[in-house]
Amino acid sequence: MTRTATIIVDDRPVTAVAGVSLTAALVGDRRWALRRNPVDGGPRGPFCGMGVCFECEVTVDGVPSVRACLTRIRPGMRVDTGAPDDR
Amino acid sequence: MIVERDVVVVGGGPAGLTAAARLASAGLTVTILDEQPELGGQYYRRPAPEVARRWGDHRREGGELIAEARAAGVECRPGHLVWGLADDGRTLLAEDAAGSPVRLRGRAIVLATGAYERAFPFPGWQLPGVTTPGFAQHLAASDHTPVGERVVLAGSGPFLLPVACSLLALGVKVAGIAEAGTPYRLGRRALGALRHPARLRELAGYVARLARARVPIWQGTVVLRADGRDRVSAVTLAAAARPGLAVRTVEVDALCVGYGFRPQTDLARMLGCEVVTDAATGDAIPVTDAAGRSSRPDVYVVGEAAGIGGAHLAKARGLAAAHAILTRETGHPTPPAEARALARLGHFTALTDALYPSPAQLLDLLLPALPDSTLACRCESVTVGEIRAEATGDVNAAKARTRAGMGPCQGRVCGFAVAGLAGGDTVFPARVPVRPVRISTLLELAAEGETA
Amino acid sequence: MNADVVIVGAGVLGAAAAWQLARGGSRVVIFDRSAPGREGSGTTAGNLHVQAVHTRRPGQEVPLDSARFLPLQRAASDRWESVEDDLETSVELRRSGGFTIAETPDQCQELKEKHTWEAAAGIPTEVLDGDAARAALPLLGPTVAAATWCERDGYANPLKVTPAYLAAAARHGAELVPYAPVREITRRGATWRVTAGEHVVETPVVIDVAGPWLGEIAALAGIRLRMTPVAIQMHATVRAPVTLSHLVQHIGEGLSVKQVTAGNLLIGGGWPAGSLNLAGRSATSTRSLLGNVALAVRVLPFIRDLRLLRAWAGPLAATPDEMPLIGEVPGEPGFLVAGGTYAFTFAPLWGETLRRLAEGAPPPVEIADLGPDRLMTQPMTHEGRQRC
Repeated sequence: MTRTATIIVDDRPVTAVAGVSLTAALVGDRRWALRRNPVDGGPRGPFCGMGVCFECEVTVDGVPSVRACLTRIRPGMRVDTGAPDDR
Repeated sequence: MIVERDVVVVGGGPAGLTAAARLASAGLTVTILDEQPELGGQYYRRPAPEVARRWGDHRREGGELIAEARAAGVECRPGHLVWGLADDGRTLLAEDAAGSPVRLRGRAIVLATGAYERAFPFPGWQLPGVTTPGFAQHLAASDHTPVGERVVLAGSGPFLLPVACSLLALGVKVAGIAEAGTPYRLGRRALGALRHPARLRELAGYVARLARARVPIWQGTVVLRADGRDRVSAVTLAAAARPGLAVRTVEVDALCVGYGFRPQTDLARMLGCEVVTDAATGDAIPVTDAAGRSSRPDVYVVGEAAGIGGAHLAKARGLAAAHAILTRETGHPTPPAEARALARLGHFTALTDALYPSPAQLLDLLLPALPDSTLACRCESVTVGEIRAEATGDVNAAKARTRAGMGPCQGRVCGFAVAGLAGGDTVFPARVPVRPVRISTLLELAAEGETA
Repeated sequence: MNADVVIVGAGVLGAAAAWQLARGGSRVVIFDRSAPGREGSGTTAGNLHVQAVHTRRPGQEVPLDSARFLPLQRAASDRWESVEDDLETSVELRRSGGFTIAETPDQCQELKEKHTWEAAAGIPTEVLDGDAARAALPLLGPTVAAATWCERDGYANPLKVTPAYLAAAARHGAELVPYAPVREITRRGATWRVTAGEHVVETPVVIDVAGPWLGEIAALAGIRLRMTPVAIQMHATVRAPVTLSHLVQHIGEGLSVKQVTAGNLLIGGGWPAGSLNLAGRSATSTRSLLGNVALAVRVLPFIRDLRLLRAWAGPLAATPDEMPLIGEVPGEPGFLVAGGTYAFTFAPLWGETLRRLAEGAPPPVEIADLGPDRLMTQPMTHEGRQRC
């Protein structure tokens, strides 16, 4: 059995292997568009995965501008992206 | 809070950890910091415990090195962003994970700030699902998560091969690897590398593995564009010799493109360490002696930050710096065998590099065919054409006029291309803060009173 | 090569003068030691000051003579009105108004005096108490005890203004020569000979608008001017949703805050940089960074929740008495100088003034007391000239 954790992304539960990076949880859920570019409005998703590009910034537990790639998931963590999908 | 140590090490990858462990085991007080939530750097990036338990640790030696550093008494501070320098020119200013300020002073400072991937724009590279190869590697190795189901890797350099192998191990369909150069044909340079079979064996192992999985390696091939709506759905490739002409379109749900690595030298430059521009790579390389000592006698630059060379060289450089510091602090001489090992490793790196096109050659190859409408600066959404219109040979003037490089990544992602387009200096000047820093942290630091 | 005017320094003053002169039919050559507009004119915050500026930036020794300064500022402000039409492009000019705030009783008193001067200069400002100021701008913090509001305070993007002036000047035939440091300036009779890089130009008029190098350029011609260039620093936050549409300044401490078109908050106020480095890049000071940002948060608490993106330093071509410098050098016919702080606000006015002076016409505003004579020291010895 693999231990998992469930987080809440844009009010929807997402389950991933416990303790993985938030980007992994999001990518594993096929949730790639995390924000809209402030200039052109286009969808953007994680790019570098190491804290350099700032494309994966999301709001975590009410704290804005958190880089998902530098964040590990915790059960119950609330994540708000800037580009909620409609699935 | 002020942390006073014999040595402060910035960067918890192979070089920093090796240096810190050696220094602490000799009795020096050492603090190591890293921006990432855990030590290990990019190379030894730690898997989640559950991932390690279930699928194993892809680099156990990384965990062992971290354990060794801790056991030796190194104070470990992951989740710390070193963002600047106090006016005394020696106190490092950091922000911890909770946003509290931390000031650090060391009699010696070891900068092991690593590298970041060299990106280069192409139409559609801003689409979600287009990433660096490094991101795919982290997802696979540390998080056991495939970047996609059907993936093309592209760019140049040996790193594409292990990433492809990591993806195969997860059951990902690797549709192909587009390599801008032609390194995997036995030419004169490749024969030269044969004299160093360890390195070649490693590459050959990856190639064999990819061949068994029938993953095509398209040499002399570059990305023409990526297409998709809210996520990449196809990549179109072109021959490097005719980079504007499509030769193949491949359906993908992830595309990973990278051209090797650039040293992360902002802190070194901010500390006033002399740097030189490497003619072949265009990167700013700190000037150091064999032990990594910079033009500033109390600052050592080791690992990838001192010039790209791989994890083995990084560790050797970390060790060399540790010995030099120990010699200075305790009078113990450096073991000569280690100095020789260091020289040998550096030689290997140069040979591997010779197999692939240099960044300067890549610019010659890729820049002319790049359409004006391509996004160059992802943060500020500045196009190639806008930068070309300001190409006066001054990367800073181009930045001022177009806003390219003014966003939160501070020009790290677009810097190589913008410099190529604008001409002149090849890196943006280092500026405070090294990364965006919370203003609440600055207020706390100001409230601590002593700001020098 | 011959020209009617040689301009040394392609900053905002040089660019504005070049446009004025070229449009008037003069053959203009502009030299810059580097790229145009990248020193003080590119690092400034871009404020168009109409109400009185704070009289003292941190480290400033002599307070500004606001009573003298204000009418000039008013005249400059009026001229910004036509800049975008004149240059046929947007420079993001906007008049969104500004507050100058006070926190202490002394500062409140100073605000009232300022209001009196402003009324005398024909600059409409309104004095508000703390609560009225917060009602007008709810972002203001609880320490704000009073404020003056001036609806004419404005902004133009400094990264667009200088290039726009230069482009307009070029359309009228002005020739810009970047990366051409001026090495030699000599005069024979009424003809100046300017050597810059490979270029040698003869001209009856030299305009020295070299910003922090103004004194050095003048020294090439044997003119010794006592300038006191300093470096100050600016700070930008990451982009934020647009919430602050006005300029906010402090009457008693170095603070100016505004949100630029892109959404970044720009925090300045003349805090001293770590060093002035005329040969390279001036270093920022962390002490100033912390002080400036803390002050900004005290006055505008919402800034606390943002992140600082970038700090940079730029030179300020300050004069010892903090008053603008403009005029012809006595005894050196045809050698004009212009500089001093707040040059950005003054650019359209000084551009026009320099054109009139070059044409031998009377200036549009009274400048007799702003000339270089007050800053002149003994001419250099022969040896001294060689050292430059």
